[in-house]
Amino acid sequence: MKSSKRRAGGKTGAIVALCVVLVLTIALGVIGITGLSIPPRGLYKVLSWLPTWRSANWPASLPLGLDLRGGMYVEYSGKAPEGSTANFDELVEGTMSIIRTRLSDKGFNEANVQRIGTDGIRVEIPDVQDDTVLDLIGAAAKLEFKDPSGETFMTGDMVKTATYYYADGDHQIAFTLTDEGAKIFADMTAANIGRNIAIYLDGEMLINPTVQSAITNGSGVINGMQTAERATTIAAKIQSGALPLELTQQKVDKVSATLGQDAVSSSVKAALIGIVLIMLLMICRYRLNGLIASWALTIYTILLFMLIALFHIQLTLPGLAGVVLGIGMAVDANVIIFERFNEEVRKGRSAKAAVRAGFKNAMSAILDANVTTLIAAIVLLIFGTGSIQGFAKTLLLGVIVSMFTAIIVTRFLMNCFVNAGATNIALYTKVKAEKEVQE
Amino acid sequence: MTIKNHSRICLIISGAIILIALVLTIFGHGINMGIDFEGGLSMQYDMKTAVVSNDVSSVLSGMGIATSTVTVQGRDNNEVNIRIKDVAKDDIQKVQADFETAIKEKYPEASSIGDVNYVGPVAGATLVKNAVISVLLAAVLMLIYIAIRFDLNSGIAAVFGLLHDVLIMLSFMVIFRSVIQMNSSFIAAALTIVGYSINNTIVIFDRIRENAKKMPNVAREEVTNISIKESLGRTICTTVTTLITIVALCILGVASIREFALPIIIGILSGVYSANMINGYVWAFLEEKRRNRKAKA
Repeated sequence: MKSSKRRAGGKTGAIVALCVVLVLTIALGVIGITGLSIPPRGLYKVLSWLPTWRSANWPASLPLGLDLRGGMYVEYSGKAPEGSTANFDELVEGTMSIIRTRLSDKGFNEANVQRIGTDGIRVEIPDVQDDTVLDLIGAAAKLEFKDPSGETFMTGDMVKTATYYYADGDHQIAFTLTDEGAKIFADMTAANIGRNIAIYLDGEMLINPTVQSAITNGSGVINGMQTAERATTIAAKIQSGALPLELTQQKVDKVSATLGQDAVSSSVKAALIGIVLIMLLMICRYRLNGLIASWALTIYTILLFMLIALFHIQLTLPGLAGVVLGIGMAVDANVIIFERFNEEVRKGRSAKAAVRAGFKNAMSAILDANVTTLIAAIVLLIFGTGSIQGFAKTLLLGVIVSMFTAIIVTRFLMNCFVNAGATNIALYTKVKAEKEVQE
Repeated sequence: MTIKNHSRICLIISGAIILIALVLTIFGHGINMGIDFEGGLSMQYDMKTAVVSNDVSSVLSGMGIATSTVTVQGRDNNEVNIRIKDVAKDDIQKVQADFETAIKEKYPEASSIGDVNYVGPVAGATLVKNAVISVLLAAVLMLIYIAIRFDLNSGIAAVFGLLHDVLIMLSFMVIFRSVIQMNSSFIAAALTIVGYSINNTIVIFDRIRENAKKMPNVAREEVTNISIKESLGRTICTTVTTLITIVALCILGVASIREFALPIIIGILSGVYSANMINGYVWAFLEEKRRNRKAKA
């Protein structure tokens, strides 16, 4: 674009530049609709750091939020167990990672676990509307090691791994302990040789073996599990351990997929109607400038959707509404510029001088207006949760992309048209010069 | 065409709207709080035939649920949305199951259409707290930004207009309580207005900033008049382009989108109104005061 800008001084250069932008716009549109598959080799490998760009077409690869796709979400508030002195943040993080493990173990790979505020945890599971998933999340596997007198001397958080295996015609679980756990276990077994040490899961005794010798290597076996299934489940429970926090369910929401489809299709319709009407209005009012604004708006719309897909910004219901609203807002910068352009024309400036002065005078208003919107978007991003955050991201992206299209793209196109010979003021506005000005 | 200062009348009109909403709220007709704020259980069913809402209500009261809201919706009035306050979370599944058994006596083909929603009482309070913090924080940050880029009085006047727009939005939520519920998407709508309605003010203040320098000896009120007039073309054009898409969304969209789009439309209109009729004059008033103080000193 830069090289064509330099050539834009001449008439042919300007026409060539316009053609290049036209081809680029069409290419962008085609890529946007059909998608682009980047093979992971050669020069393209450089691009592989970019978030996955699906080879399928973009409407399919747009990540839809729960409210559009259907699914369920649950919000919990967590409380540290009584007497706990651990860092609360660590407890929350620990709880979240256990929930993640539990969900992905059961195949809910797209589930999303996020923290809200200080003590809130939000779990989103797309495509599922089944309450049994909640039992899976909330299940607190509490593993206890008890000494002969029944006192608990160690709990599940000392267990590092627990795996099922089959040996000697028996279903067994092998477990390893953390360094700290290994030490406690070694001391306890050494002190209790010949006596029984029991392992309890959620209050149920799993095993109560007699200690033969001190176990110092930090590993052990639970044998006598009746079935492979029982052993696997228990191993998984021990592995993911107890939730460090006591969770209270605050909110459950199940969304059907049909509702979301209606929302998407009606928003797309509204966006298309909106774009066509805006273009008509702009062309009627600002003539050739309006055409340029429509061109920039087309680029804006394609770019915005491509970036949403590229950065995997989840499109939520308010997010989608934000995109549609943003289309209406995106031309605002153009309107400010064109009004300033008309004022310069009224003062008697040529089209070329009016473009330059129009941009110069409009810039402060555009900058300040967009920065204030950015402030709102950033505050939303920080304080919003769930679908509101999705909205904040599309709003943020919309503001940035519209600044690019409305200022850089529009200015480039206006200069090209002027240099290509479209200097007759009547092409741009019905406004007439009120006085002659020396250029 | 001449622009005159009608800000006094406009402030009285806005004040009256806000006062009406306040009085309604005091007398128990406040904002129609949605489930996101109030908590409770919300369920949706497709009955396959037209629903009489009393049928559903009587089933619910038969189950011992005294306070419930039943809304009939859908193209052929086939669908029903049920909201029950004061449900313990352990009872959700039981309430659902009992209701389904009972309603099938009247509407044998009734089936849940998926959207089941439970909100505990704490979640709503957090939401309100976050919303208030967000609006206030955004307002303070904008005040600082405008004070730096323009002047302190512009910042005060712009934030005054901003709070005016949010209050008007809230007032309309009270006045239109039978049409629209307040849910978490309202917060997004309110913040959108905080971000966008101020655009109109900024564009006009940008003119004022420019003209004030050019006309140091003209009364500030007159500078405001001139600036509003010069910005009018842009104001009208942008308002129309913005309203086109959001109105299309409101007409075509599903209920949850309308819940979001309607407050935004009100906010946009209020933003145009305050930017052109009020905010500039608040700035002029503050500036004249500052000038008088300076002259006396």
